[in-house]
Amino acid sequence: MNYNNLTQRYFDGAQAFAGVLTGPGAFRGSAGSRAQGTWIQFDLRVDPGQARTIQAARFLAYACPHTIAAAAWMAEAAVGTSASAAPPESAQGLRERFAIPVEKLGRLLVVEDAWNAAVKACMGSTAG
Amino acid sequence: MNAPVYLDYAATTPVDPRVAAVMAQCLTLQGAFGNAGSGHAFGDTAGAVVESARQQVAAAVGALPAEVIFTSGATEANNLSIFGVANYYRSQGQHIVTVRTEHKAVLDPCRELERRGWRVTYLAPRPDGMVDPAQVAAALRADTVLVCVMHVNNEIGVIQDVAAIAAVCARHGAARLHVDAAQSAGKCALDFAAFGCDLMSLSAHKVYGPKGVGALLVSQRRGVRLEALHHGGGQERGLRSGTLPTHQVAGMGAAFRLAQESAGTEGARAALLRQRLWQGLSALGGVLRNGAEANSVPQILNASFADVEGESLLALVWPHIAVSAGAACTSAVREPSYVLRALGRDDRLAESSLRFSLGRFTEERDIDVAVAAVAQAVMRLRKVGGA
Repeated sequence: MNYNNLTQRYFDGAQAFAGVLTGPGAFRGSAGSRAQGTWIQFDLRVDPGQARTIQAARFLAYACPHTIAAAAWMAEAAVGTSASAAPPESAQGLRERFAIPVEKLGRLLVVEDAWNAAVKACMGSTAG
Repeated sequence: MNAPVYLDYAATTPVDPRVAAVMAQCLTLQGAFGNAGSGHAFGDTAGAVVESARQQVAAAVGALPAEVIFTSGATEANNLSIFGVANYYRSQGQHIVTVRTEHKAVLDPCRELERRGWRVTYLAPRPDGMVDPAQVAAALRADTVLVCVMHVNNEIGVIQDVAAIAAVCARHGAARLHVDAAQSAGKCALDFAAFGCDLMSLSAHKVYGPKGVGALLVSQRRGVRLEALHHGGGQERGLRSGTLPTHQVAGMGAAFRLAQESAGTEGARAALLRQRLWQGLSALGGVLRNGAEANSVPQILNASFADVEGESLLALVWPHIAVSAGAACTSAVREPSYVLRALGRDDRLAESSLRFSLGRFTEERDIDVAVAAVAQAVMRLRKVGGA
């Protein structure tokens, strides 16, 4: 399998964005399953203010290099954005950005689902 | 960055320089370049080289020289054996017994025969990869004409008890036993006569010989007959027409002679290297060995790594070591190894498996590079995966 430079860079550097966030202001969402071959978890630390700015993001992944790279990029790109805004990138956008084969689009949807689950946890907390 | 360490000798081997020297002598005007079928001096010279190689191969595998039919490789030998027997004996029956963990070069011809109306029984091996001869006995039918069981499995290195299976076939009477022994030469005892099988496929490039040549052993003692697949010239007792590639055949002969001479020392050395490799890998934890260790050639180690995704594992280790994966890539979709699935491994473990195959030129430092590369990759992926 060939990976473009961006994929290689974020796959190689994935550990910098890997991990979990705990404590006040941290919200978690996950999607997929290891048994199915792709599992992603995002943790977001969001400021308690109205803007819901993402202060930090971490991910965990059992996934192929493309998917790990995409998740790492999401975790990096999200910092400073609002959790209530659209995800940093859609599944299709990630596919184009990382030149990921169309056969893997389903795995990128897992990334998107995990992100949305984390945001939902965050926004649910706001509502509550 | 240094070139990756080659640990994929079960896929193919480099030609031994001594073999290459023998081959080079058959290529030019000063050498045995003639057509072995020509009646003049150049043909006689090439013919003598071919017959010498035939004797070398036969001697290395316990066969008679006249039982050696040179082919383009083990795949052709398997096809000649399966279709040759099927075509010749079809009036006696149209049933074949084989094993789910056979090489595609056996399974695909069997599937083709199924498309032509034959019945094929695919035996499931035990979780350790072994086939019980009693399974073969139970699968035999009155109309069974062929049993195909490989000797050494190319993915997990398990050695089947083909002598016991041959005895089962002999008791049946009409079931001929074909053994794919492409991985066997130089790795374990290989004795065509003592095994008592009817047909055996061999490959040169798995044993430091050239690609593009192999052989089918056809037992004279057991009187097995075949229908040829190629016609035109009648070479190789009419079973494989076509001008013999003298340099390839000579290379195969030399490779098998070397394998016979060095099998003992190479096997002992490989066993130590594999032990060193397994000790290093198993220290990671969550590493499962595939195939029966006690009944395997020392050159092959297949292991699955828990909590690690297969493609990511390969992406991290391939820059450092050339090993085979437990999944075949077709475009972006990976298909888990059917061999490992047949042993009961789930898809994820099958995909995260690596086959390390050691060879004549593998050294301790290569093993240490492999252990370090895999350890780093596995720990990194487990960290990213939260395992």
